[in-house]
Amino acid sequence: MIRFDGVTFTYTGDVAPTLRDVDLEIPEGELCVVVGTTGSGKSTFLRAMNGLVPHATGGRLGGDVRVAGRSTRVHAPRDLADLIGLVGQDPSASFVTDAVEDELAYTMENLGVAPAAMRRRVEDTLDLLGLHELRGRPLRSLSGGQQQRVAIGAVLTAAPRALVLDEPTSALDPAAAEEVLASLSRLVHDVGLTVVIAEHRLERVLPFADRVILVPGDGAPLRIGSPEAVMVDSPVAPPLVELARVADWHPVPLSVRDARRVAAPLRARLSSAPKAPSERRAASTRGAAVATLERASFAYDEVLALSDVDLGFHAGEIVALMGRNGSGKSTLLALLAGARRPSTGSVQVRGEAPATLSPRRLVKSVGLVPQDAQLLLYRETVAEECETSDKESGLDAGTTRGVLDQLLSGVPAERHPRDLSEGQRLALALAVVLAHDPPLLLLDEPTRGLDYPSKARLEGILADLTTRGTSVVIATHDVELVARVADRAVLLADGEVVADGAAREVICHSPVFAPQVAKVLAPDPWLTVDEVRRALAGTDELVEQP
Amino acid sequence: MNRTTRARVAVRLTTRASVLLTTASLIGLVAFGWPLLVHARAGANLAHAADAPWIFVALLPLLLAIVLGEIAEGSLDAKAVALLGILAACGAALRVPSPGVAGFEPMFFLLICSGRVLGRGFGFVLGALTLFASSLITGGVGPWLPFQMLGAAWIGFGAGCLPRALGRREIAILAGYAVVASLLYGALLNLWFWPFAAGTTTSFSYLPGGGALENLHRFVFFDLTTSLGFDLPRAATNAVLIVVLGRPVLGALRRASRRAVFDPVVILEDVTASPSSDS
Repeated sequence: MIRFDGVTFTYTGDVAPTLRDVDLEIPEGELCVVVGTTGSGKSTFLRAMNGLVPHATGGRLGGDVRVAGRSTRVHAPRDLADLIGLVGQDPSASFVTDAVEDELAYTMENLGVAPAAMRRRVEDTLDLLGLHELRGRPLRSLSGGQQQRVAIGAVLTAAPRALVLDEPTSALDPAAAEEVLASLSRLVHDVGLTVVIAEHRLERVLPFADRVILVPGDGAPLRIGSPEAVMVDSPVAPPLVELARVADWHPVPLSVRDARRVAAPLRARLSSAPKAPSERRAASTRGAAVATLERASFAYDEVLALSDVDLGFHAGEIVALMGRNGSGKSTLLALLAGARRPSTGSVQVRGEAPATLSPRRLVKSVGLVPQDAQLLLYRETVAEECETSDKESGLDAGTTRGVLDQLLSGVPAERHPRDLSEGQRLALALAVVLAHDPPLLLLDEPTRGLDYPSKARLEGILADLTTRGTSVVIATHDVELVARVADRAVLLADGEVVADGAAREVICHSPVFAPQVAKVLAPDPWLTVDEVRRALAGTDELVEQP
Repeated sequence: MNRTTRARVAVRLTTRASVLLTTASLIGLVAFGWPLLVHARAGANLAHAADAPWIFVALLPLLLAIVLGEIAEGSLDAKAVALLGILAACGAALRVPSPGVAGFEPMFFLLICSGRVLGRGFGFVLGALTLFASSLITGGVGPWLPFQMLGAAWIGFGAGCLPRALGRREIAILAGYAVVASLLYGALLNLWFWPFAAGTTTSFSYLPGGGALENLHRFVFFDLTTSLGFDLPRAATNAVLIVVLGRPVLGALRRASRRAVFDPVVILEDVTASPSSDS
């Protein structure tokens, strides 16, 4: 279906090629997952499939890419639109019209499809992606997951035989991501579409991948093979695969179900291991309370978002706020950050109500990194951003840049914040917030769009902060993050606290919130691969995270 | 360094397009300036002198259509079209509140910044399109429209021809240009409708058959007395806008044009250089 013959591609102005001697074929009807870290050339590889590379980007192309026999050397992207469609990260960036049906029809208008056929294809697409209830809605009013499904639909109406998706869920929260991936698996299984997808939520897509292409980066040769074969030593791997490496399982299981079937010996070994999983930090080492909520409630007009919440957050502790969308996580963060005043009850950070503090004093006691880190960044370059941050709060020149370099070295100073990768942008926003050294740090869904190395770096940063006595509160759906860093988990539902306790107790036995490792090793309360590795090694030394 | 390199040309002017653009501009100049150029003997040509503006009114749209058509011929890529559409819409929206408020016409500010960053070809097309789009929004379609379009197109073109400079110097040059361009634009459009507006009886009316100098004198008088109160504030607001907002807007446009990679250079290596099969 898609065939690369000795493809080498170099961007204009670059010396080293981004793709080098790529020879591979993606057969019809396969779901092919492209794996690699940010900046490894995944996007270039995907865009070479429909001719955007080189026709829209410029550069030097050697070799030949053919889609169903049509070469991208002689066919512009528009000449391939009936064969292959591309969906990007941010659905709203690709929308041309305002309403769902118009957006679906727009591609066909451009291809000159007859009105009757157009009408039918719009109906088919609405049904295929479960969008029929949204047909007349304005695109702006849709959730992220619904928007991404419309974006996929808009490509499908051209009736392509292959669909290429570049991290389609990285801008979505986990529930929306799940919705999009479910639609995709349906397209592969029911329609027989060839799908090539770059994705970093590997645990979600690997179970139904037919093939994995690993893009190692730095122009190193691509590897293609069955998921089991590639995952054996892939540098990017979900927790399940890492567990398989520790336990030496062959072939590598790709779903919790497969893993449980081979996990009995491991469970037996672990239950006789000298060291049972224990809390990361004993409750007694916890510092004084940094922030407290007492019978705090908050209502948006008539809707009660939080009711009678009693919580305390302590120095040196990482607390995870979990719960479905609309359960009150963001409202709780807004109360702590001083953006909202509680309707009744009180919120105090270091003995003061955050909503009454002047902005200058507020940033010194609470730091909030919103879901979209870009919201904190408004200058033209990284350097200016750091300077402004120093100047506005009377810090010594270079403080923010120093913090940034500690978090993540090598963020280019002259780059526009919008042109940074998700990981770099998060690091910059964190640096701007952390430069004030606030005792309370609030993070809203911080791992959105981060690849595994960036996530691991974030986890390192958070662990480091707690040793310095910062109290960290994370609102997140990412159970793997909670499993790896959180000391305590607070579960919210309909504005009420339904569970508050050690992270292990709260998430381990929940079918919704348990991480992969816990699901495989239940009923024993293991949370992470590192714990298992340590227990097997019979040592309590901290094993360095990759 | 990335920021000092000039952006690639968004709209390439071919030789043919350049020749057409120059010719159309020359004819356009005559269309604007005929009251000063016609040396008709008094009386003899008066009737036909009154026809002249209408000939140009008919001629100018055709010329503009030809020039825009030639520029678009094969060389406009989708990204340039998208950017043109967005900027023209923004410019048109900026013109909506203008007529009521004395001299406040911030559209030139955007046009000058765009022409500066994206080049003269883009500036020319954007100027013409912005005026066209805004006249559709405000209902200002009339015989004056082609003249406004050509005038704005020249402003955009001129902004793309300004010398290289960066930082404060660039802002100063653009602000100065905004003042000159706004005043010239006002004067040119006055020149066009002056013969109709001021009748034939007052001391600053167009004098058919009068000498160029005589008419120039009368026109300057007309211009100063009637519209300078409008043109000067307009020149000032645009210059102030450039000083205040120029840097971020230029930055945003530069970033957009850098990311869009207009007119990409594609090199296809010989396919026989690497092993390939024809399947």
